Amino acid sequence: MGPFIEVVLGGLMAGVLYSLVALGFVLIYKASGVFNFSQGAMVLLAALAFARFSEVMPMPVAFLLAAVLMVALAFAVEWLVLRRLVNQEGIILFLATFGITYFIEGFGPQLFGDSIYRIDLGMPKEPKIILENMFEGGLLINLEDLIAAVIAGLLVAFLALFFQKTATGRALRAVADDHQAAQSVGIPLNHIWVIVWSVSGFVALVAGMIWGSKLGVQFSLVLIALKAIPVVILGGFTSIPGAIVGGLIIGVGEKIAEVYLGPIIGGGIENWFAYMLALAFLLIRPEGLFGERHIDRV
Amino acid sequence: MPATAAPDTGLTTGLTFPRLLLKHAAERRDRPALREKDLGIWQTWSWGQSAEEIRALACGLASLGLKRGDALAIIGENRPRLYWSLTAAQSLGAIPVPLYQDAVAQEMVFVFQNAEITFAIAEDQEQVDKLLEIRAQFPALAHIIYDDPRGLRGYTQQGLISFEELQKRGREWHGANPDFFLQEIDKGSASDIAALFYTSGTTGSPKGVVLTHQAMIASGRAYSDFENIGADEELLAYLPMAWIGQNLFSYAQSMVAGFCVSCPESSETVMNDMREIGPTYYFAPPRVLEGLLTTVMIRMEDASYLKRRMFHYFMNLARRVGSRILDGKSVSASDRLLYSLGNMAVYGPLRNALGMSRVKVAYTAGEAIGPDLFVFYRSIGINLKQLYGQTETTVYVCVQPNGAVKPDTVGPPLPGCEIKIAGDGEVLLKTPGLFREYFKNAEATAEAIDSEGWFRTGDAGFFDEDGHLKIIDRAKDVGRLIDGTLFAPKYIENKLKFFPHIKEAVAFGDGRDHATAMINIDIEAVGDWAERRNLGYSGYTDLAAKPEVYELVRDCLEKVNLDLAHDPKLANSQVQRFVILHKELDADDGELTRTRKVRRRIIADKYQKIIDALYGRESTVQIDAQVKFEDGRTGIIRADLRIMDVKTYTPEQAAGMHRKAA
Amino acid sequence: MIATGPMQSHTPTNAPVERAARKTGEVILALENISLAFGGVQALSNISFDVREHEIRAIIGPNGAGKSSMLNVINGVYHPQQGTIYFKGEKRHRMVPHKVASQGVARTFQNIALFKGMSVLDNLMTGRTLMMKTGILQQAMYWGATQREEMAHRVRVEEIIEFLEIQSIRKTPVGRLPYGLQKRVELGRALAAEPTLLLLDEPMAGMNVEEKQDMCRFVLDVNEEFGTTIVLIEHDMGVVMDISDRVVVLDYGRKIGDGVPDEVRNNQAVIDAYLGVQH
Repeated sequence: MGPFIEVVLGGLMAGVLYSLVALGFVLIYKASGVFNFSQGAMVLLAALAFARFSEVMPMPVAFLLAAVLMVALAFAVEWLVLRRLVNQEGIILFLATFGITYFIEGFGPQLFGDSIYRIDLGMPKEPKIILENMFEGGLLINLEDLIAAVIAGLLVAFLALFFQKTATGRALRAVADDHQAAQSVGIPLNHIWVIVWSVSGFVALVAGMIWGSKLGVQFSLVLIALKAIPVVILGGFTSIPGAIVGGLIIGVGEKIAEVYLGPIIGGGIENWFAYMLALAFLLIRPEGLFGERHIDRV
Repeated sequence: MPATAAPDTGLTTGLTFPRLLLKHAAERRDRPALREKDLGIWQTWSWGQSAEEIRALACGLASLGLKRGDALAIIGENRPRLYWSLTAAQSLGAIPVPLYQDAVAQEMVFVFQNAEITFAIAEDQEQVDKLLEIRAQFPALAHIIYDDPRGLRGYTQQGLISFEELQKRGREWHGANPDFFLQEIDKGSASDIAALFYTSGTTGSPKGVVLTHQAMIASGRAYSDFENIGADEELLAYLPMAWIGQNLFSYAQSMVAGFCVSCPESSETVMNDMREIGPTYYFAPPRVLEGLLTTVMIRMEDASYLKRRMFHYFMNLARRVGSRILDGKSVSASDRLLYSLGNMAVYGPLRNALGMSRVKVAYTAGEAIGPDLFVFYRSIGINLKQLYGQTETTVYVCVQPNGAVKPDTVGPPLPGCEIKIAGDGEVLLKTPGLFREYFKNAEATAEAIDSEGWFRTGDAGFFDEDGHLKIIDRAKDVGRLIDGTLFAPKYIENKLKFFPHIKEAVAFGDGRDHATAMINIDIEAVGDWAERRNLGYSGYTDLAAKPEVYELVRDCLEKVNLDLAHDPKLANSQVQRFVILHKELDADDGELTRTRKVRRRIIADKYQKIIDALYGRESTVQIDAQVKFEDGRTGIIRADLRIMDVKTYTPEQAAGMHRKAA
Repeated sequence: MIATGPMQSHTPTNAPVERAARKTGEVILALENISLAFGGVQALSNISFDVREHEIRAIIGPNGAGKSSMLNVINGVYHPQQGTIYFKGEKRHRMVPHKVASQGVARTFQNIALFKGMSVLDNLMTGRTLMMKTGILQQAMYWGATQREEMAHRVRVEEIIEFLEIQSIRKTPVGRLPYGLQKRVELGRALAAEPTLLLLDEPMAGMNVEEKQDMCRFVLDVNEEFGTTIVLIEHDMGVVMDISDRVVVLDYGRKIGDGVPDEVRNNQAVIDAYLGVQH
């Protein structure tokens, strides 16, 4: 029993990080209908910025500065790209985010350097054994992962409150619900875009910091962030809880697959299992676990 | 049945409602007296604030000339201001007359003439319009006070004044005559009229039931003592305050016990308001309980398979042991454990959804309640009990005591109430809650109260072996078939109405050789049933005529017949033929009372042709029906109504079926 | 007026009397010689009429008469090729939607444009977006400080909820409501902007008799309680005649009648236009 629980816990921890990136996708998709391919690149940029800033200044200042950078990016994206592509097809906007991706992937390292940087958040790295009297040998967990999970949980709770309880959150929901109706009551769409891209940028920053502290800040962060795509397919493109649960399922699923199926059909399952699961879901339930099914009442 | 010692009725202490108000304003000045949800927020008035509002109102009314003995109509939904109006009128020795807010002007004209009402307090424009219409026929109605000014800005009619303006004048009056209010209250006596309640009755003009302070306070006190009700209860007033069943609990008893009464935000938000307030004391006629249950069941149908399975499993358990647990009877330990599990998973959430999580005592009355419905509420742990009473008795007659509740009786007499059964089965009683008279109707009063002071309830009933009263029908409606056997139509009708598909039933048989019935289907339940079978229909009339629906109703009747056949006394009352009526019986057409009781005589007159056909041989009857088209016009259509035969059973067959089933 | 049950649909009995006697104010909106064409199709030809403060002004006409085009011209969605518009005394060749909205013009749509997934309350709150002093961006930055403003808006919205008698559906997602109630919610959202001029695009389309009566009552009440000037378009003559102060009749983009309901009713050109159109 003990080893299995360890695998599940490990999966949950990894899943939380997937959830964070997926959250960025969902926020932007809901509010602007844009599938933002550059979410992974944003994670990289945010992590790079934070890593380099924190070398020369105290951590909180570095954090703030990185957040400001992400907001600036949001303004730039709205000003230079979105505003000019209003009312274009979704696919055009999707392709535009490709452009943004490659720009960030190229420009980011240019600005901040392209070697591997360390982020030290001062979190305890050593594993810890807990619940020794419940399981034989206890459970081995990574304290760093646990703290990361708590931070992610807080961030999600904060976002939920922001969406449900504030006027801005209400405006965001209104835009997500019906663009045209939102315009007719005077909600300025371009402001909303700036806000969602900023929020996504902020989420990317948190994800980038945690990930960077685990693996170091390097280009491969972009590839890991791609795992968020199967997560949103699983959870539904428009559902915030979907992004969370989807991330956890993928995280746990791929760890279990790796540990228990890996020895049978060969290792490396972790790399493609998530995509297979997403494909299966697309076939069974295209709207995802929590996606909206359109219910029309007459 | 000998009377137990009568409790203090207020006569000796000279208690009146205004005096009770002063008492609470002194004793629990800052405790809540009334609440109302306004703009989405619950507003509260303490006893102290209420007393001030009432004083301003009473003085305002006095400034307009309301004096001792004048009548003041109160018409609208449950609102704090209308409750204050009751006490304000009583303070001046005037007679408040609460009226049903959904009555049309024409129905109310008689009441205004009979009670010589010169003042009226109305909730809103709708009621003001009605009052103006009444005034065209009864010009003595001089003053109309309105609560909600919306839509009334352009009204320039004489004698129209807003509640605020009236209270403003009242405050000025009080400033000028600071002793006036208390002096007026001092002049009052417990034997004064506290309020006039007009009962629609099943025949003739409405009668004004004169209830004194003493009677209403006695009844409020009797319930408080019996159930141990104090100042900490919570009650939501959502039924018409013109109905004694609401008025007793939300006014008289609140005044006696000092608890807080909440008024819903609107008539549509009651469910939600219940959940927010969490009443501890609750009253609902069976119709409301049935509506609530239907809502729950419909929601359950939409739930997931797993939830539905769990729900049904635990509801079956509750049906088996729930009532016994509530009554404190012995139940096996395993069942008890399962029930507590069910309480967490199903019953608790269910009580919460119904807004009854905190209910200590819930009453139902007004008509017979289906045993399934009654047991449902009790089985999920809500202490629902039946009580029995009339406007004329301030509902001070019988109530089921905790731990001795039976679905088919109304319990033993309350302390102080004395009951005897007349030779013809009619229930006669004496109670401290008894009315003084019918207003200006000595003839009716003499008919209702005999020379020895016994009130004739008009109900037929008997005491069971435990001393609980069992009501079977209206005494005058209990007839006999040609062979002389007993025919209690309501008994049959109630059995029919307990089927969800049947909304109303009228049984005929007095002076005939067998019984027949007229049925109204329940458009929602049957409509739902039809939809599930892909049976298209355009409206009530169409659905009611479907052969499939006739089959459905016939099954119900056969079950009732089988039931009746068990009892040799009633076996001859089995229904042999029935018709499903082409229209719903409607209070607006005079076929039902406002409390939705069947007006038998009127229906018998109006549908004579159909009744003849029920006792004829033909399988159809042609009728001319007035219908209302979508655009509001009315027209006459000619249609054929089908009449269907029903299987009847001999007592032997019935016994055999029973054995087979067992 | 059609007799109805006492509870649900109450129409003021003395409304018609009041209507005739009611005073309306200055001209708030005047349209002069408006012509609008889409490609070669002439949607509106040389139309002139005015709207006075506090009145209920109806634009009626058979389907395809140009009513919606007219409303969209007022709203600033369409720009007429010819003609002048005076709004609140200010002359302009064309109206611009955003500016129009911020000057106190709110509208509803023929096909309801509500936020289906949001509650009634939230929908109404969005109606106050333009009334919010702090912009969306500032709110996002300092949302603690905007709490008080939010409260004040909530009070106004609650008043509208009470006014429209939709307390029981306050928290219900709009998508779950029946059509007639959605129409009422949309009216509520328009009212939340506290408009001086309210444009209603076929407010009674697709409703049954009872819902129409309710809507009539609310339109009358809005006009009376808030003094809102109302321009409404309808293709069903009957309903409109009872509640309007003055009526413009369009047919094939031309104005064929203008006046108080009785004049319009007896206007031969109007009768002809409606002939063959069954209602």
